[in-house]
Amino acid sequence: MSLDFLAYFYSPGVVCQILVGLSRTVILFIVASGLSLILGVLRIPNIAHGSLYMIGAFMAYTVSRVVGGGITGYWMAIILAPLGVALVSFIVERGIFSRLYEREHIMLFLLTFSFSLVFGDLVKMVWGADYRSVPMPTSFQGSIPIFGLPFPIYNFFLLLMGPIVAVLLWLIVNKTKMGKISRAAAVDREMVGAVGINVSLVFCIVFVIGCFLAGLGGALVAPIVNVVLGMDHTLIMECFLIVIIGGLGNIWGALLGSLIFGLTQSLGILIWPQFGIVFPYAAVIVVLSFRPTGLLRSTW
Amino acid sequence: MKRAMIVGLSVVLLGFLGVSFSYGANTIKVGFVDTYSGPASVYCFDVVDGFKMAIDAINAKGGVLGKKIEYTTRDEKFNPATGLAMAKELVMREEVDILAGTINSATTLAVSDFAKKEKIPFLCTFAKSEKITGEMGHRYVFGVAENTRMIGKATAFAVAKKPYKKFWVAGEDYEYGHAVGMASWRYIKAMKPDAELLGQTWWKVGEADLAPYITPIVQAKPDMLYMATGGVGNLNFMKLAKAMNLMKEMACFLHTSIELSNLQALGKEGPEGIMGTVNYLFYYPETPENKAFVAEFRKMYNRPPKVGALYGYAAAQLIAKAYQKAGKIDKEKFITAMEGLTVDSPVGKLEMRKCDHQLMLPMFYGVTQKSPQYPDFLIAGDIMTIAGKDYLPTCDEIMKVRQK
Repeated sequence: MSLDFLAYFYSPGVVCQILVGLSRTVILFIVASGLSLILGVLRIPNIAHGSLYMIGAFMAYTVSRVVGGGITGYWMAIILAPLGVALVSFIVERGIFSRLYEREHIMLFLLTFSFSLVFGDLVKMVWGADYRSVPMPTSFQGSIPIFGLPFPIYNFFLLLMGPIVAVLLWLIVNKTKMGKISRAAAVDREMVGAVGINVSLVFCIVFVIGCFLAGLGGALVAPIVNVVLGMDHTLIMECFLIVIIGGLGNIWGALLGSLIFGLTQSLGILIWPQFGIVFPYAAVIVVLSFRPTGLLRSTW
Repeated sequence: MKRAMIVGLSVVLLGFLGVSFSYGANTIKVGFVDTYSGPASVYCFDVVDGFKMAIDAINAKGGVLGKKIEYTTRDEKFNPATGLAMAKELVMREEVDILAGTINSATTLAVSDFAKKEKIPFLCTFAKSEKITGEMGHRYVFGVAENTRMIGKATAFAVAKKPYKKFWVAGEDYEYGHAVGMASWRYIKAMKPDAELLGQTWWKVGEADLAPYITPIVQAKPDMLYMATGGVGNLNFMKLAKAMNLMKEMACFLHTSIELSNLQALGKEGPEGIMGTVNYLFYYPETPENKAFVAEFRKMYNRPPKVGALYGYAAAQLIAKAYQKAGKIDKEKFITAMEGLTVDSPVGKLEMRKCDHQLMLPMFYGVTQKSPQYPDFLIAGDIMTIAGKDYLPTCDEIMKVRQK
């Protein structure tokens, strides 16, 4: 193979590709951080996390239909859809998970898997099998040229959302009492309970926040995709890989993992478009061969 | 309590038996195996609805050979193993005369193989694999829908006169994607020897954000991008194409871009200027036959028919007319009658080609555009009809691939 491909890296197209890759990273990060949060504190490998992402997208569709497709409808969808998902997760947590925290991982794993099937069928019953599309608000329509290449405005918006969510998460985890308790509970839940803290309540809040993030990811992705049954399948797999290479339960690991996943993918496509999808998975293999427990410290 | 349970159970069991008995001996039974749950089901309901509409009319006139046509459905949930088991159940237990359905190509090939062994006629009403009536074709299988080889040849036919030289093929990394992408490229190359394939891009089925894949293609500056996505992925591409105004950079061609499932979902937001092909449009051709079909379908189901409705309708017409021609309910006579049979349809006369058992449907080429007549969604404009004889692979071609 010649070194021709290196020339790509000096071309302005690479800058564009990195930006596109980063915007893709945002959705992955938002969903994966929620997964990681739940995994770290509650020790639940939540397969149904992807279904909540799908429900978030469907709820965004419903809100945009009810309110109308304009910019107000869009913002309402971005806020109401994740809240709706949070409500669903609250019911599920209080009704079922809160009673099963002491069970083995494999049992919880199977339980969340069964939930992903139940949620899938519920979505079909409520919304049906037709293709749905959330209209893009006028202000986000179109693209702007970067070095002559069209860059969708919505992807810029996603680039902004990523850091905002990351900073908010950092504040919640590091600057609030709740965050501190949840970090302590992640390390030793019995001890936290022994000092008189209502661990069950903390778990509930963390679970709801994690699922809120899944819903947010779904609502954010809704205007650019076909909102349809099965949209959760690909994403949940990628999110698990991201959480694993980042370090189980570490939300900064989720950030790092998403960056690795998104960027190896977008740059891989530049180098070898025909087999671009291989690159992120190759990166996962490389990371795991050198750091089997993930890049950052796992809370497990 | 115990007695109540026994009574209840017997009622349930009798219910089951009732289902089987309700098929008197005096009916022609068609068994559909198809996907009625999950994303693919959006296409399959139209097939059954179109089929039902046709047989209702046939049965109202006294049926065929004095027998009514009945059908039953099985949901294979897009799983080939389930689909095959259900086809077996339909033949062994329900004793259907004809098998039909299947959108999943893997299921279709499995059921087709079973149909060959059992000598049961099987009408494939959606799956797009070219192997069904091509490489793996046989006496008992019939293709009622188009396949990837036909799509490829229709694409080449549609763009042959356009000034494109440099092509790029991109799409979803699964059998349909590769088959349709490569078939289109093969036929384009055959019709335009100076055509050049700059590259290919493939992504996972269900990939949400396609921007990382499409941006490098813009950089490569092909004259035409052939999109090899099917079903769910179509919308993701069409939305991005609109956001990036991709049609300004290059010509974009996507089979079924003009199909109603896509354009209706996109609503007013649909991208203008994407070329595409499809076997059925409810607003074209503007013939009395098509208008009557649409009016009747709307009356029954309160929605306009999509492409699947044509396949289902055509399948019903073929079955009825073939039995009429055969003169008795006999599987071998039915097959012989089907070969070369011509039926009426909303899109004109359709012939079941004898050499490969492929229905010679017309293909409509068009470009997505806004229309004052349908303010809620885009429709196809600049429509060109490609006749079956112009885009079906020739019988020689089929015989050659079958010999391999």
